[in-house]
Amino acid sequence: MSEVLADFIRALRSADVRISTSESIDAGRALALVGYDDRTTLRAALSQALAKSQDDKEAFGETFERFFAFDQFTRNPPSQDSSEDENDSGDEEKKGESGGMPGPGSGGLSGEREGDGAPQDDLAGLLASGDQAALQMALAEAARQVNLNRIRLFTQRGMYTRRMMEVMGLDALNDRIEGAERDGETVKAERMREARDGLREQVRDYVEKQLELFTKNTGRQLREEVLSQVRLSNVDRSDMRFLRIVVRKMAKRLVALHSRRKTVTRRGMLDVRRTIRANTGFDGLLFHTIWKKSKVDRPRVIAVCDVSGSVAQVSQFLLMFLYSVQEVLPEVRSFAFSGRLGEVTDIFKKSDLEKAMVETLREFGGGSTDYGQAFRDLEALAISGIDHSTTVLILGDARSNNGNPRADILKKIHARAKQVIWLNPEGKSLWNTGDSEMRALSPYCDRTVSCSTIRGLERVVSDLLRSAS
Amino acid sequence: MTGTQTGAPKAGAAADIAAIEADFASLGYICNADIATSIFLSQRLEKPVLVEGPPGVGKTELAKATAQMLGKPLIRLQCYAGLDESKALYEWKYGKQLLYTQVLKEKLGDLMEGAKGLKESMTRLHEFDDTFFSEEFLEPRPLLKALWSQEGAVLLIDEIDKSDDEFEAFLLELLSDYQISVPELGTIRAKHTPIVFLTSNNTREIGDALKRRCLHLYIPFPDSDLEQRIIATRVPEVEANLRAELVAFVQGLRKLELKKQPAVSETIDWARTLVLLHARELDAELVRRTLNVLLKFQDDIDNVDSDVNALVAQSREASARLAG
Repeated sequence: MSEVLADFIRALRSADVRISTSESIDAGRALALVGYDDRTTLRAALSQALAKSQDDKEAFGETFERFFAFDQFTRNPPSQDSSEDENDSGDEEKKGESGGMPGPGSGGLSGEREGDGAPQDDLAGLLASGDQAALQMALAEAARQVNLNRIRLFTQRGMYTRRMMEVMGLDALNDRIEGAERDGETVKAERMREARDGLREQVRDYVEKQLELFTKNTGRQLREEVLSQVRLSNVDRSDMRFLRIVVRKMAKRLVALHSRRKTVTRRGMLDVRRTIRANTGFDGLLFHTIWKKSKVDRPRVIAVCDVSGSVAQVSQFLLMFLYSVQEVLPEVRSFAFSGRLGEVTDIFKKSDLEKAMVETLREFGGGSTDYGQAFRDLEALAISGIDHSTTVLILGDARSNNGNPRADILKKIHARAKQVIWLNPEGKSLWNTGDSEMRALSPYCDRTVSCSTIRGLERVVSDLLRSAS
Repeated sequence: MTGTQTGAPKAGAAADIAAIEADFASLGYICNADIATSIFLSQRLEKPVLVEGPPGVGKTELAKATAQMLGKPLIRLQCYAGLDESKALYEWKYGKQLLYTQVLKEKLGDLMEGAKGLKESMTRLHEFDDTFFSEEFLEPRPLLKALWSQEGAVLLIDEIDKSDDEFEAFLLELLSDYQISVPELGTIRAKHTPIVFLTSNNTREIGDALKRRCLHLYIPFPDSDLEQRIIATRVPEVEANLRAELVAFVQGLRKLELKKQPAVSETIDWARTLVLLHARELDAELVRRTLNVLLKFQDDIDNVDSDVNALVAQSREASARLAG
């Protein structure tokens, strides 16, 4: 019993549900209370003990359905039934005959299943009887005996299928088929052979499902790990959708980490007013002392993103990050430019990220980059909104096509803002080569960061949130 | 798996759960098997239940109904930012303590009478009962009250997400061992394990440590069938066909993009409103006039306005299907 639960918990963990030991103990206790009798109750009980957030509940639901899906023998009716359908009721007698043939086997069936190890020699009878529940149980039992839950690689499928068939009594079945052939009962032999092949298919199917259940996420986790460290410009288009999920996940983590609004106690500064108020009940004797506190404000962020060419890729994910952490970073204004600059805050607020990005690119992408023009536009649009609590994030390669980058405007912005952070997707060795204007612009930035991977972006956003606290 | 016995499950589990569901129903709280299972488990495993779900689906009501069902007092602690242990757990009765020291000062003369030297005086003073920090001077707040309660209690810690992280950490001892530590006194254990509910509207993520100690129950908006039963219990005056219509309408409304979706409590209010207006069936005009009972944002009301006709037609169809 507990083994089933342990397997189920492993399957859940591979579906990204975090389960601690104490929670599995709880699940075990809950299980001992409710038992396996009622599927809905079982599901409710396990879900309450194991899945503790909405995402987890969803993953739990899926895994539960697949793990406790005993659908192996329901789709293909056993050979006996199909033959019955084909033939007329006149065959009734014949069926009785063939069903009764392996009499001793079916008699010992229930005892057989409990005894571990010994292969079942009544597989033929089991197949012929078409008892789906019994077959399912035999299958599960075989899976347990060969430790199917240890399956790791898809190349092990064949081996496990074979071993399970053996445990279920393949040899005895083969003997019986041979015996039937020797006795000239070709029809029966044929039928048994069919049943055997059908069973093999079922077993392979079962093994594949288990493989999927236990290893579904190992590949994905590896992919996540790798992709988050690859330069965004090198990421294949087909992986973009996947990366979005990764970003969403990271953003969620950041939100959880920074969701608490911090207050900093200024030690040694007594808040006289509130102290007196708190102690009036005690005749003015100071039992409680209350210190002055200051609330730490969240930064206001202005993101200025280059959306031309290769930088667009990185911009997209930066914006995605910024808008995914809105819970803890409520005030983000974003601007996009290649030649002309414009505000895209509303576009991102209204529609979902993918659509917003497409729209942004249509509106502002494509032109030849002109940092001078972009800064001029930014000054006109937003300079009044930049003050000592504003962080200005600029993402771009600073390649201004030999136009004047107007560093003087950046200087003005820098003077007003709390900090200016420049993110450059190019490696540091490429800065200041060709038409890159980093040298002219970097004096007016508090930090310049080379940042071209999802991990890098995460770090920047995390720093941004931390600087707020 | 440690702690998992392979013994046969108690045969009565399903029956017990069904009984809880029926008991709730007789108290006017209609619930599904999920909720009943959680009550069953929390009683048997002696574990707190963390209840999450959108506002207005009856999270607080669940605790109230449980208290009523078990005939135990409900002790409620409403959380808010800045809630600390002196408001949640205990506080010293400072005034009484002050009086006590004054009484002590007066008695001191009698006590020290005939004592020779400082040493003997100190010995006598130590022999004297020190009750300055004792349970008599402890003012119990909700959590301590729940632990001290003679007949056991149902403790409701409402909207835990509104409290600070520190408070959450401070609850951990209570939730896992049903005990609390008062530095001056030591550990106070529960006389009877209380049944604990925590509710959260998910305005912030609850810490893992807290979640680990609780069973987690998510109450979603009820499906149409359950909601009809709820309305039938809570507003019995409303007629069957109108009930079917209004529930179908609210269910349809929840599928739209809204700032705040109407919850069960709003459906109940609306049903009462319709009864008051002697409505026999829904029509677009009536719905438009009473929409403000269901929707609490003017934006939502404006947005829904154009869909009202379609929704009313839809819910009539649904109701007719049910009747037919």
